[in-house]
Amino acid sequence: MSPIDPRLQEALDGERDPGDLPLDLREAYTRVTVATQMLKAPPPVSVASRVMAEIRQGPPPVLDEGLARRLLHWWLGRPRAVTVRLRPVWTLALAAGLATVLFLQWPTGIQTPGVAQGIANFVGHFPGARSVEVVGSFNDWSRGVLHLNDDDGDGIWHGEAVLPAGPHEYMFVVDGERWVPDPLAGRYVDDGFGAGQQNSLVIVRPASAQP
Amino acid sequence: MENRDEAPLPGVSGMVNDGAPGDADVVAQILGGDGEAFGILIRRYEPGLLRFATRMLGNPDAAADAVAESLVRAYRHLAQCRDPGRLRSWLYRITGNRCRSHLARRHTNDISLSDAPPLSDGSDAWAVLERGEQVALVERALAALPAEKREAFVLKHVEGMSYEEMAQVTGARIPTLKMRVHRAREALLVALEEVVR
Repeated sequence: MSPIDPRLQEALDGERDPGDLPLDLREAYTRVTVATQMLKAPPPVSVASRVMAEIRQGPPPVLDEGLARRLLHWWLGRPRAVTVRLRPVWTLALAAGLATVLFLQWPTGIQTPGVAQGIANFVGHFPGARSVEVVGSFNDWSRGVLHLNDDDGDGIWHGEAVLPAGPHEYMFVVDGERWVPDPLAGRYVDDGFGAGQQNSLVIVRPASAQP
Repeated sequence: MENRDEAPLPGVSGMVNDGAPGDADVVAQILGGDGEAFGILIRRYEPGLLRFATRMLGNPDAAADAVAESLVRAYRHLAQCRDPGRLRSWLYRITGNRCRSHLARRHTNDISLSDAPPLSDGSDAWAVLERGEQVALVERALAALPAEKREAFVLKHVEGMSYEEMAQVTGARIPTLKMRVHRAREALLVALEEVVR
């Protein structure tokens, strides 16, 4: 196959006015343009009802904390008129609810693994990081659930969690922004979204099977 | 002349041109618990995704399956979409990935001849071919391209994407994508010229 004239490629890439092309190249330009126009007709089918029926059967998508924060910033940054009308009693109830959420401490400490569970240890070297947490298939990729600690400030962050025995995909989230695979995981799987990105893989052995 | 690489992408702003909510608004709505709002995204992107998958797989039924599976997968993993402003790229990436899996199961990246539309007998001149025959001819030529070139050509010329957005969809580098599009054009022109000669 012989390469076509670079001027034709430039015109088709929108980098050159096709009107400046010689006649033969202009004909080729028209031929490609007409051909692509023919391919633009949308197929006369729809999968909308099928997709909506399927997603109604499953659980709703879980809101990721990082995404929620970005969406909140974006939403708060846009001008809009907001009218809120509340009875005083509801205002008090809302304030009490918020106070409960803010002052309640989530229990810390690791649970005892059950029969079909095991303990997964997560360790990462992130010097200078302000926070490191683990998101994965075991927590619906939600942030704010499993934080790693670096109590002595040596840049080595570690933590553990009781998980169902079996394989789990996960990623580290550093400083709430950077999603990075675990360089020490040893096993990786494609994240399923193309682009060649990979999730780390941990295989949890049942605690009953461990010595 | 307008440069497509600099043109704004649909749905990325707060409000799209027709006054409908932008993608990030709709994503926030869904993640806030309103799953029915996903219908807005389906209406917005389904035609393009179906067209893309049909051109990739050469079979409308397989394309419908691939798009339906991709949309369900996108809904379930919507919280993992790290930039809702680039939702369109994300949806095309999932659909492209599904199409590649489908083609891999066939053990070939090419569309089988039984899936491709029938070829014109070639005795007619390009200018006098009926539109249906012309479409079949172009589809046939597209089907003959290797999958990577076919994907690059369709994203560029049929879906009207910039090379930057194509890179987000495919994971390939922009020079690689340009090369694929250029080679696809060459092959397509050769195929078209051979038929009308």
